[in-house]
Amino acid sequence: MLAAFVWLPQAGFIALAVQRLADGGGVDAVLWPAVAVGLLGVLRAALDALGARLSYRKARHVLSAARARAVDVLAAGSPLDTRRHPAGLAASVIAEQAEAVLPYLSRYKPVRMRVMVLPFVIAGAVFFFSWTAALILLVAAPLIPLFMALVGWRAKAASEAQLAEMGDMNAFLLDRLRGLATIRGLGAVETTANRVHGAAVSLKERTMAVLRIAFLSSAVLELFSALGVAMVAVYVGFHLLGQIGFGAWGGTLGLGEALFVLLLAPAFFEPLRDLSAVWHDRAAGVAGLAALDGLMAPGLEMPGALSAGSRVPARAGALSVDLRGLSFGHEGAPAPVFDHFDLHVRPGERIAVLGPSGAGKSTLLSLIGGLAPASGGRIAIGDRLMTAETAADLRQGMAWIGQRPHFFAGTLRANIALGRPEVDLATVETAVAEAALQHVAGPGAARDLGEGGLGLSGGEALRLALARAAATPGLGLVLADEPTAHLDRETAAEVTAGLLRLTEGVTLIVATHDPALAAAMDRTIRIGGRSTCQAVA
Amino acid sequence: MPSRRLIHTLADLLALADRRQLLLGAVLSVVTVLAGMALLGLSGWFITATALAGLIPATALAFDVFAPAAAIRLLAIGRTGSRYGERLVTHDATLSLLAHLRARLFRGFARPAAARDLLARPARLLFRLTNDIDALDGLYLRLMVPFSAAFGATLAAGTALGLLAPWLGLGLALFLGGIGILVPVATALAGRRPARRRAHGLEALRARTIDLVDGQTELAMAGRLAAQRDAVRRADAYLADADDRLNRIETGAGLAFGIAGSLALALVLAGAGLLVEAGRIDTPLAAFALLIAVAVMEPFGALRRGAAEIGRTLLALDRLGPRIRDGAEMPVPARPDGSTAVLLDNVDFAHEGVARPVFTALDLRIEAGETVALIGPSGAGKSSLLALIAGEATPRSGRCAVRPTALLTQRSELFRDTLAENLRLAAPDADEARLWAALTAAGLAGDVGEMADGLETRLGDGGLGLSGGQGRRLALARMFLRNAPVWLLDEPTEGLDRETAVDVLARVRAAAAGHTLLLATHLRREAAIADRLLMVGGGGISREARRGEPAFEEMLAGLRAG
Repeated sequence: MLAAFVWLPQAGFIALAVQRLADGGGVDAVLWPAVAVGLLGVLRAALDALGARLSYRKARHVLSAARARAVDVLAAGSPLDTRRHPAGLAASVIAEQAEAVLPYLSRYKPVRMRVMVLPFVIAGAVFFFSWTAALILLVAAPLIPLFMALVGWRAKAASEAQLAEMGDMNAFLLDRLRGLATIRGLGAVETTANRVHGAAVSLKERTMAVLRIAFLSSAVLELFSALGVAMVAVYVGFHLLGQIGFGAWGGTLGLGEALFVLLLAPAFFEPLRDLSAVWHDRAAGVAGLAALDGLMAPGLEMPGALSAGSRVPARAGALSVDLRGLSFGHEGAPAPVFDHFDLHVRPGERIAVLGPSGAGKSTLLSLIGGLAPASGGRIAIGDRLMTAETAADLRQGMAWIGQRPHFFAGTLRANIALGRPEVDLATVETAVAEAALQHVAGPGAARDLGEGGLGLSGGEALRLALARAAATPGLGLVLADEPTAHLDRETAAEVTAGLLRLTEGVTLIVATHDPALAAAMDRTIRIGGRSTCQAVA
Repeated sequence: MPSRRLIHTLADLLALADRRQLLLGAVLSVVTVLAGMALLGLSGWFITATALAGLIPATALAFDVFAPAAAIRLLAIGRTGSRYGERLVTHDATLSLLAHLRARLFRGFARPAAARDLLARPARLLFRLTNDIDALDGLYLRLMVPFSAAFGATLAAGTALGLLAPWLGLGLALFLGGIGILVPVATALAGRRPARRRAHGLEALRARTIDLVDGQTELAMAGRLAAQRDAVRRADAYLADADDRLNRIETGAGLAFGIAGSLALALVLAGAGLLVEAGRIDTPLAAFALLIAVAVMEPFGALRRGAAEIGRTLLALDRLGPRIRDGAEMPVPARPDGSTAVLLDNVDFAHEGVARPVFTALDLRIEAGETVALIGPSGAGKSSLLALIAGEATPRSGRCAVRPTALLTQRSELFRDTLAENLRLAAPDADEARLWAALTAAGLAGDVGEMADGLETRLGDGGLGLSGGQGRRLALARMFLRNAPVWLLDEPTEGLDRETAVDVLARVRAAAAGHTLLLATHLRREAAIADRLLMVGGGGISREARRGEPAFEEMLAGLRAG
């Protein structure tokens, strides 16, 4: 901001130097103005750089803080929250969309501030010497706000449309690449490549139609600014020739003053042109901020989510589970999933929870695992009550086996240890052997799984989840959510056997539709609707 | 040498573009800058000349004001026009280039090796691809165009001042030319590493966020949520640090241009003083020289952002280079002789990075017209065998020769396009009658007939708006349209209800007359349509039976009912 003002004295010294030359001066006469122009220029560049750095750092700080808050909310949210953002969307907001906030905060906002102040200061300086020249400037920019609105409105529509079109073009290519297996299978690579090109060209045509309008409106701005400079030059020229007498407060402008006025004319329009250059930063930045805010909306929280627990290995031995008057309902749902539900599971007991889809089998497991807060009743694991304070500690003695385990990009070993400091290589190797995964693990379980478990079959993925559970020190309770869904009969039988091996002397609660798995348990309970009937096998 | 490869990639890239258009854009940008310089220079000369003339009434009357005044107005309008033209042409050129690039990249990614990489890390590679393409769009707009504008401005200013005094013009041109090359090169060199780190930081931030959300239950049970949260924060800090370095470098380039511009201005002022003192030029020409020196720095400002982005652009060129190159030609697969449809001879195969082979010395011959089902437990290699036959996977050793195939993958993708275009993937020239015939054969004609837009119905992301059964039937219709003698089906009725599955299988059988059919399956209903059953396992085919043999029924009975 300050940097832009330095141009005023700089222009003054240039004008002074020319005046001195006209007065018959030589190199001596312009020497110190030249030094002043040079030094002021350096000062201006330095102030410019300093201002850019300051506003960048501030914007970076704001962005990092917003990101940290959004990530906290994501981490602490309960997986049972129905309004949770899907991972892909959340990642795109946290990564690239949030990054678009930066140019908006660090470039757009300072330019906007300059537009509000600088033209008026310059017009004031010109006005001091010649009211006519100042008037020309103000007429050339017939009400700056109107201009801004015109450019802004057009450029905004254009840049939003362009962003959307560009996004579409990328989406089109990504859509085809995602289905590459299908396209290759159909032998349609060449056809699709031509379609990709055709779509890109037709999007280009549409984008250009919008850009033509956007560029036209900034061309109008350019034209007015160029004409403004030209008219000031012509007016000053005629004035100096004595053909236009008015405009300079009754006197005649000197050469130096006239030149000064001319040098200020382009600077008058510069902030406006800068603004139209950074306009598209605004649309993306505002959208990015809104998306981050959307992530931060409060929802259902997981008890003790961000606590790592005491990390003291839990007492080895099976845990009992005791539910009394348990209630839970999804927000906005007409009926609660559980209403005063009771269940007692003895230490070392293995039970199956049966029931139709949507009856709340997964919800029950999540509540026992402390992944969501119950809205009423109490949950006791072993001899401790599940609360926000104890949840992290209690989870240490438990393991979760889902129907589709998530793979983290990295090695099999890292996927089993999950970064738990107490799980060393020996533990991982034992777990790999226990889950019968040796043939895919490679030496030291160092096999790279790629993204989403490359090359692992459904059965191997489940056995990886078994290995994760087996590596849990002091394991006392296993919660398994439909572990044999999506598996063929043979593999399902293997996974069931693995699960039984893993839970020898450990409590197991498994939610399932699979009659074979349920038959292998000590007891089955059936849930669904409000009534709960229990059966002892 | 990596820089040599980069130059090749750059040449490949520019070969895709309309070079006349690129040149025109650059020329227009130079014209715009020149008009701006001339406008300011002429105005300065005009004012000074009129001021001096105005001192003496006689010369004031004789002074020709109209020619310069008209020239000033003309330049003002011309500058606006050429700026408008420049922006249109440069954006048009960039978008055309990107259109060619996307098609080329698609071909490059469709090569088997690249396609496999893509399947291994789809989210990460696709994200990277989008960012790389976006980075390339700045190559012309933010680097080549401003560079030619700066170069043109330097040349013009040097010539204009050189007409007044050769040493002044030459000095200015050399000084600015040196700055115009030195600063961007220094910026690019300094920015290369942070640009790379920034791109990696953004990818890590994204991947870790996905792990945090998708793996939340696993992390929570292991007490590692806070650790993962911290990992996301570390990725942000890494990204912020790299970006901060880049910003410092970019700001530094701006500072260097600013200081250089001020020095040039001060030196031209002093030089003009010398010339006036020596009587070589008059004051109006001195003013002209000064204002030229003021205006010449304008295009350099635009150059600094492009220069700071060079690192990112080079990274994109580096990563996309092989795909751009590969996209130029496609390989030709081997074909078997005689009545054989599929021939695998002594084939060894293993997944990438896994020592244990899936198949060792596998031999397989399937005659034209056969219907064969591949059965076996999950993970035994049914899908791998189909991939080998389809040419999706490459054997470590041995020979695969297969007649042209159409592969119906487990998850058959539907694309964001109209229904007709989704079908025409398989047969680009098919007319509507043929499309309808295929839909009828797949049992989807009735449903499509009821849709308001019929064949022109748009399918959303991944074929939104169709049920699972409808999607499968559409994929089937697509396979029917494809003129391939060998059909490969990977679990074609998985996830369908019994009634639909039976109908789909009946339609496959009806349409398969004259085709060789291979099914990978673990469902009895699918295997039951085969003439021959192959049990995959133990590194090859572990058991085999033809219809009519007792083992056939035995093997069928071992499969899951349904």
